[in-house]
Amino acid sequence: MKKSLLTRFRSIRTSIIFSFALLIVFALLIFLLLSLRFTRETVLENSTEYTSQLIGQVNNDIDSYIGYLENISLIVAGNSDVRDYLSGQEFSQERQEELRNRITGVFKTITDTRNDIINIALLSRKEEPLINRGSARLNPYIQVSELSWYQEAVEAEGKTVISSSHVQNAIHGSYDWVVTLSRSMDKPEEPEGGGIFFVDLNYSVISDLCERLSLGNRGYIYILDGRGGIVYHPQQQLIYSGLKQELISEVMESKKTSFLTGDGRLYTISRSEETGWIVVGVSMVSELMRRADAARGIYLLIALALFLAALALAYLLSNEITKPIKALERSMKEVEKGNFAHAALAVREENEIGHLSRNFNMMTEEIQNLIEQRDREQQIKRKSELKALQSQINPHFLYNTLDSIIWMAEWGKNQEVVRMTSSLAKLLRRSISNEQEVVTVAEEVEYTETYLTIQKMRYKDKLEYEVLVEPEIMQERVIKLLLQPLVENAIYHGIKYKEGKGLLRILGFRKGDEMILKVQDDGKGMDSDTLAHIFEKHTRDTRSNGVGLNNVNERIQIYYGEEYGLSFRSEPEKGTEAMITLPLGKEEGSNGEL
Amino acid sequence: MGSYKRRVGAMAVFALLATALLCWYWHKKSESAAPLRVVLIQKAVDDTDFWTCVHQGGQMAAKELGVELTVMGPGQESEAALQHQMILDAIEERPDAIALTPSSFEETIPYAQKIEEAGITLVLMDSTMEQDMGESLIATDNFEAGYKMGSYMKRFVDEDTVIGVVGHVKGTSTATERERGFREGLGEAQEQIAEVVFCDSSPDKAYELTCGLLKTWPDMNLIVGLNEYSAVGAARAVKDSGRSDQCHMAGFDSSIEEIQLLEEGVFDAIVIQKPFNMGYLGIETAVQAARGKVVEPYVDSGSELITKENMYTEENQKLLFPFFGKNKKGL
Repeated sequence: MKKSLLTRFRSIRTSIIFSFALLIVFALLIFLLLSLRFTRETVLENSTEYTSQLIGQVNNDIDSYIGYLENISLIVAGNSDVRDYLSGQEFSQERQEELRNRITGVFKTITDTRNDIINIALLSRKEEPLINRGSARLNPYIQVSELSWYQEAVEAEGKTVISSSHVQNAIHGSYDWVVTLSRSMDKPEEPEGGGIFFVDLNYSVISDLCERLSLGNRGYIYILDGRGGIVYHPQQQLIYSGLKQELISEVMESKKTSFLTGDGRLYTISRSEETGWIVVGVSMVSELMRRADAARGIYLLIALALFLAALALAYLLSNEITKPIKALERSMKEVEKGNFAHAALAVREENEIGHLSRNFNMMTEEIQNLIEQRDREQQIKRKSELKALQSQINPHFLYNTLDSIIWMAEWGKNQEVVRMTSSLAKLLRRSISNEQEVVTVAEEVEYTETYLTIQKMRYKDKLEYEVLVEPEIMQERVIKLLLQPLVENAIYHGIKYKEGKGLLRILGFRKGDEMILKVQDDGKGMDSDTLAHIFEKHTRDTRSNGVGLNNVNERIQIYYGEEYGLSFRSEPEKGTEAMITLPLGKEEGSNGEL
Repeated sequence: MGSYKRRVGAMAVFALLATALLCWYWHKKSESAAPLRVVLIQKAVDDTDFWTCVHQGGQMAAKELGVELTVMGPGQESEAALQHQMILDAIEERPDAIALTPSSFEETIPYAQKIEEAGITLVLMDSTMEQDMGESLIATDNFEAGYKMGSYMKRFVDEDTVIGVVGHVKGTSTATERERGFREGLGEAQEQIAEVVFCDSSPDKAYELTCGLLKTWPDMNLIVGLNEYSAVGAARAVKDSGRSDQCHMAGFDSSIEEIQLLEEGVFDAIVIQKPFNMGYLGIETAVQAARGKVVEPYVDSGSELITKENMYTEENQKLLFPFFGKNKKGL
């Protein structure tokens, strides 16, 4: 089965941290993308705004230059000397000279005050052309009337015409880059007169204007005239040679004031109403974005710091969240080991884990109760089982004894019959009177002696016994039927197989806090192998009283505890010693009645 | 405990990654902050239109490509030794590329070799040397320029035409190529070339030689000059002899005098080079070569045939009059 992403981790804490990290990264990424986008847009917007202002200023400056040229043309057109000069009338030589001097005087004043005026000229149809200070001549190899600014001025019928940038070749010996403002001075009422006035603005004022402005390291400004011709472009020669392309028709047709190109250039457009020229600012987006790039670096750093902080927080939080789970886990381990004492959890949380812990506590408590109950029941069951066993008198023993009595009666041994019958009666009474669980040592010894009496009469010369129990322990209370099974075992498995008479001794003494009861015989003895399995095979001996050695041991341990019980020492052909260790002064064991 | 160590480890790895990222970021930044350095060594840094245009074209390319350009060169084209010293000085500066317009066909070779030996990218501009060197040559295709002149002048040729050629320096690549192109352009009419003379780039010598030609060949009615000095000298001679109405002329390069002679009608055409483009393409090619890109071994910076009719078109007036700051009045 495929594991889900989160369950693949070995601990919930890792899962939590991972989920947190995932969420954070996701959120941060979105934040980054949005803020970068926003920054980019803002930078672009600001740049467009800034460039618009710059190139708008360029346009304003150009307009003011052109406006200045217009003013000059107005002044000249309104000048009475000029009007006279162009009237087409016939003048006297002196008058002609005078007019010429006065007009060139005006021209001189203008060129003296403004050094950005290269040429200023009045080309009369009838009279001599008046150029600058009067000394310059027209270029003899050029038909001035064929020049475009001349023709356009004629067509414009009195309106001023602004040329694109061009080399002014109308004046002899001079080839200046200029922008020409020309104007027809023709008047319908003076068909003989008229002429063209033109003034040349030094082109460098415009190119300087454009070059001075900086649009980043690689950005630039260019100017188109109303027809799409290039007035100024820093790479004019490259464009003419086809080495560079410039967006001209796109700019001419663009309705917007700015647009972005596919290769990362920002075009900003400003049109002049005055001249019809279009000033275009071209900025490299990559350069503009340098600031956005710096911002990106800062964003990245912030995102990183945030991520680390959030990760640390996730670490701490996950610790908090998983702490009770860990406690629960520990507790469960304890329970697993069977250690219920430390299993109970202190529940502080009111959440799912709190509920879980509480349920767990309840469950362990329940389990603990059940286990205790089971133990109790087991003990009761065992006890009753043992009780049932001990209360039985072995039928073989009864039969054998009765058989012995019959024989003794036949032989007329009345004394013996009485003794044996009364002993048997004692035994039977003890078996029947089952209420008393605990007897004194004296009573137990007495009972055992009764049994021994019967056995001694049956085995006659084979069995001798002595009882050596210290008087001080005689009144100690013990569970009954401890000694008799041991004696029985000693007789049947020890003495019975011995050649000649066997001696059986019952010893009882105190040893510190404990009471020791011993049954010794000098019979056949046992090898270590038999000794090792002694508790197993004597569970039920058909010839015995029915209470096996195991039964004795078990009862001692149930009643007094594991540390007490029955042990054997034996040597083959030498004899066996069974020893019972019991606590002294132990009244009514906590484990209840037996 | 183990998982704690793992976590700490993961965090450490993350921190490391972040640091690496930052380093990469700053590195990238600093890398873009150190532009390529290119040196342009011209035959001359003077106030002629030609070298000023080369200079400006180079600077235009440098600005556009974001490289640092240093332009140097002697005050006059004749100072080859000075240019050679400048080459050595430039090598000392260890630039990424050197764009060289060799002063001498032969003597500049060892210095150009030193540039290449120093591991500096070399491109040649304007002129070739006896030995083929550098990553690329950016120059006017002189054969092409001559061919343009020849094929234009062919229209004035009939069976009686006698043609004279005034070259500048015999054996130079420019003179040879232009003459070859001119002949090719004329086609069959090249048979009518009566004589080729060389003026050693002196207008005065060109004047005298042309006078001699006109005397030797009274029917000579088509004369071309293969550079500015030869063309101007020849034109003056033709003009002074009063035969400019019968004699068709063409010249190379532009000067105010040539332009005026063109306006006047003494020249029918002049072929001009494109020095701005040469400078621009030269630096562009040098930068590309220095950046390890494959560059064309030969780049034609172009030429243009100018006649009286087209001299004031938008395109051509920019070529003929590249500058607007200066006032080019008179001679």
